[in-house]
Amino acid sequence: MTKHLSLLLALFLLILFFSLLNPLFFSMPTIQAIGNQIPDLTFLAVALTLVMITGGIDLSVGSVLALCSSIIGVHMISNGASLSEAFLISLFGGALCGLITGTITTLGKIPSFIVTLGMLECARGVAYLVTDSQTVYIGSEVGVLAESTVFLGVSPMFILAIVIVVLGQLLLSRTVYGRYLVAIGTNLDAVRLSGINPTPYQISVFIISGTLCAFAALSLTARLASSDPNAAIGLELSAIAAAVIGGTSLMGGRGSVIGSFIGVLIIAVLQTGLASLGIDEPTKRIITGAVIVFAALMDFWRTKQLRA
Amino acid sequence: MSWTATLTSLKKVFTLLSALFLFSCGDTSDSERGIRVALVMKSLANEFFATMAKGAEAHQQKMPDRYELIINGIKDERDLSRQVAIVDEMVALRVDAIVIAPADSKALIPALKRAKGAGIVVINIDNKLDQELLAEEEVKIPFVGPNNLTGAQRVGAVLADNLSPSDQVLMLEGTRTSFNAQQRARGFELAMNEAAIEIVDSQSANWEMREANIITASMLTRYPDVKGILAANDSMAMGALAAVKTIGKLDAIQIVGFDNISAVNQAVTAGEILATADQHADKLAAYGIDYALTLLADENAILEDRETPVDLVTAKDI
Repeated sequence: MTKHLSLLLALFLLILFFSLLNPLFFSMPTIQAIGNQIPDLTFLAVALTLVMITGGIDLSVGSVLALCSSIIGVHMISNGASLSEAFLISLFGGALCGLITGTITTLGKIPSFIVTLGMLECARGVAYLVTDSQTVYIGSEVGVLAESTVFLGVSPMFILAIVIVVLGQLLLSRTVYGRYLVAIGTNLDAVRLSGINPTPYQISVFIISGTLCAFAALSLTARLASSDPNAAIGLELSAIAAAVIGGTSLMGGRGSVIGSFIGVLIIAVLQTGLASLGIDEPTKRIITGAVIVFAALMDFWRTKQLRA
Repeated sequence: MSWTATLTSLKKVFTLLSALFLFSCGDTSDSERGIRVALVMKSLANEFFATMAKGAEAHQQKMPDRYELIINGIKDERDLSRQVAIVDEMVALRVDAIVIAPADSKALIPALKRAKGAGIVVINIDNKLDQELLAEEEVKIPFVGPNNLTGAQRVGAVLADNLSPSDQVLMLEGTRTSFNAQQRARGFELAMNEAAIEIVDSQSANWEMREANIITASMLTRYPDVKGILAANDSMAMGALAAVKTIGKLDAIQIVGFDNISAVNQAVTAGEILATADQHADKLAAYGIDYALTLLADENAILEDRETPVDLVTAKDI
């Protein structure tokens, strides 16, 4: 926990700051509103953390999310499938996207930046194709997953997001698989020289990323009670920002899932807080940009001090 | 870890926070819970919504004691999820009324239903919510806004008057998921059918100038004989205009738009764009807020949907 002390402090100060400006900010409904909107970004941030630790990047997550969401909507409405059936197929779709990008990147030795940029376009195109560029309204059958009244005042998707964060962190820090991911990101040649074939690990991390996109899709679809083929445009950048704020290195080899989750919270609190004040759009964006850079800087300074 | 390190970062955070404070303090604190109205719009990067925001601010300044205004928009027209989040946040902040220009005609309905359930007055402006779905969900939300279908039909008729039957035209649609994009496309189609003019190609440029520019350029290489372009908003009309200028066909191709943003107003004056439609964005929000205030004063007031005027803008009107 001490590792994330500066991040938690930044989060705390943000909450304090907005609560001072607007007494209604620190209230159960606001906390629920934030809790209800973070699951999609959380899943993507976990995905990005794992990919970035191996030294790769996945720019396609927003589009793959939209594709998975479209699959859920179309399958339920046009084909009359149940939610679990539809979600299962979208999981498969997300994993398939990850398998394609992972395989091309790793075996073709092409930077994941460009391969996933290609997937960003393709997946968005397929999303428009399957939905015929229309929002598919599903209704409460899926909407119930985003309702915060179900259990302890939080939504089922929120609980699932927390479970994924915990599992992601355990995978990263407590398993051989996680150690290999860090090793690949730190020094790929050393991994090869020690007789380990990195290829399956590199491909699998993109499959995990694609699968997590399907989870994110489920949560966004639930929140909108519809599938929106335009969903999550640019959300990959928020996910990357959350991971970097949380101390994940863009160069690979360093990062933590918990840190990324705190990064998600910082972004969400900032967004909600600024909205609660009704600050004008240009100022909002300037503040958001500044806070992202500042939070990342703070983490960087602290890590340097810890090493020294 | 050391305490000095924590202390240093603490100090730095405070410096930032005080800077933030200078940015935003002044208006929001210490109001003793008067009426608060949240205006939730689409992209404030679009001049149409910026004008709408200004109109709402002017309306509030005329009666500063009557209510407090919280204005929020999203970063681009398609950021649906953020708009739903804003509605939830406004409910959490216990505002008294939400006046919303929905980014999607269907997907906003569950969030607005929650808002109504929390006792908040909800007024729909600009882009009409899906009436079938509202009925299905048993929610009643009054609508204040223009009729995009007849508006587009009239703009289309101006173009038709300047062309002859069996001429070819292109259409640039807005984001297809939004109701007003569908309505404007239908209005254009009706006007073209009436004049027996053929729409040879129609694509969505998602309301955006850059996308419209690229799409128009490629359409024009495929259909070199095109005589007119119907753009569902002015940003796309500007993009189409640039594409037409690039190939030097300004005299041969007529363009119409929708919204009357200032750049297009100038282009109409200069004779580069034939016509656009003014939906009076500044008044739209004010009408919506008026409706909200009426409902807050008397919760049993029954409000019918109110159609706001759409005026044609051509060179001779300016």
